[in-house]
Amino acid sequence: MIEFSHVFKSYGRGVNALADASFHVEAGEFVFVAGPSGAGKSTLLKLVAGLIPPSRGKIQVNGQDLVKLTPRARPYLRRAVGVILQNTHLLNDRSAFENVLMPLIVTGHDHLTATARARAAIEKVGLAGKETRRPIELSGGDQQRLAIARAIVNRPAILIADEPTANLDQASAERIIDVFRDFNRVGVTMLIATHDQALIASHTHRVLHVDNGRVTDYIVPAPSKAAQRGAA
Amino acid sequence: MKAWFRQHRYALGVTLRRLAAQPFSSLANILVISLALAIPLLGAAVLVSVQPVVSNMSTGPEITVFMKPGAPGASAGATAARIESEFGDDILEASVVSRDQALSRLRSNPAWADALAVLPDNPLPDAVVVTLAGTDFASRATRLAAIWGTWKDVDHVQLDSEWVQRLQALLRFAHIGLLLIASGVAVVVLATVFNTVRMQALSQREEITVARLVGATERFVRRPFLYLGAVTGGISAMLAILAAGLALSLLNEALIELARSYGTEFALRLPQTEWLTLFVLLVAGLGAFSARVSVSRNTRF
Repeated sequence: MIEFSHVFKSYGRGVNALADASFHVEAGEFVFVAGPSGAGKSTLLKLVAGLIPPSRGKIQVNGQDLVKLTPRARPYLRRAVGVILQNTHLLNDRSAFENVLMPLIVTGHDHLTATARARAAIEKVGLAGKETRRPIELSGGDQQRLAIARAIVNRPAILIADEPTANLDQASAERIIDVFRDFNRVGVTMLIATHDQALIASHTHRVLHVDNGRVTDYIVPAPSKAAQRGAA
Repeated sequence: MKAWFRQHRYALGVTLRRLAAQPFSSLANILVISLALAIPLLGAAVLVSVQPVVSNMSTGPEITVFMKPGAPGASAGATAARIESEFGDDILEASVVSRDQALSRLRSNPAWADALAVLPDNPLPDAVVVTLAGTDFASRATRLAAIWGTWKDVDHVQLDSEWVQRLQALLRFAHIGLLLIASGVAVVVLATVFNTVRMQALSQREEITVARLVGATERFVRRPFLYLGAVTGGISAMLAILAAGLALSLLNEALIELARSYGTEFALRLPQTEWLTLFVLLVAGLGAFSARVSVSRNTRF
């Protein structure tokens, strides 16, 4: 599903945001991308989404070689990859419903189908009843949910999220992660960047740790029952 | 195909929403363009109205030799014969128009009929109308007129086509001038639409980013801006036609009265509907083209 092979990404002379990154993510996996701020997590996610090109190396996403992907084909890849960036990029001059509707307009869905799917996505993330509100009128957690609804409304095969729980309290963060788990259960491949160690440690997950542009791959074991009781 | 129509309908909706979101700015742009467009349109109206009048006039290389009022009746025929014999290579024909023929021709023109009716007798002289051969008649006509003017019984020689040729040269000049004005106005349209789209692209930066993020093609991103250019151009062209029409109706009130005082009918009119439709489409196309260039340059982020 996602394959990085000796990928480098530098933004300027000698500054490597990602250095010789190689890893493979299978379809349906739930993977955290961990690491301190500025380690290269966002760069990795943007590379997966095809938002930026690598400086060197090979990237395959959903069966497509991103290095060889033409500018015309790039939008079609983005439809298969739902993206939730740190800046949610919600449009404040439109209602929550219109924000979620936008990807369906882009893909040319008819009005009835688009309306039904947008409504279902909003319900799925728990924003039912807030469709007419503008993003600016929503709480931080609800704005994240709205960004998720917009990212999943086109039923992408891969969902990537950059620090989706940043600036959220523990309970809101847990609810957001629960939403992601629900999507993962129906087969959506998840790639979530976070520096929240408590969140990573709370469940068994594969983790891609990024530090100084280097990527290491490990599995976080399931927390013990005693630890879970302690946390509770 | 349905999806394609849906996306165009969406783009048009977005365009109209954006225009409505900034009504004063949009209106100001449209007014500037339409007033600029009205100038060449009025110029075209003048040319279109004058052209048929001029094209009906004879521009052939003709010279009229007027005989002296007291000259014998046969002198015109003799002059014509002399011209044919001495200048046969320079002319196509030389025909005599007697004073009676000239009077009856004038009487058939209602503008002159009243004036001639009050005259006691025929004031016109006999004349010889000479049609020149060849193409370089401008300098030749002057030379021949000078020679014939010295002949016995000849009162004066007139180059009939000179003023019509001058008028036609003036019209050619006006055509070129109009073309230059139209080119200048086209630049105004291009620049105004370019800037409007640039401002729109900058203000819609977030929306463009989101559209790209969720998989919009560049065509999808550009489409509303192309519509913006075309709609701005199209509406401006239609307003320009309306403004020019209003201006012409005011001018015509005075002009028709003036023409009637000379016993003739003349009014300025806009070019034909087909031409005006083409004008609207052309300006809309120009707007879309300018928008295309602008959006390509201003959405690279």
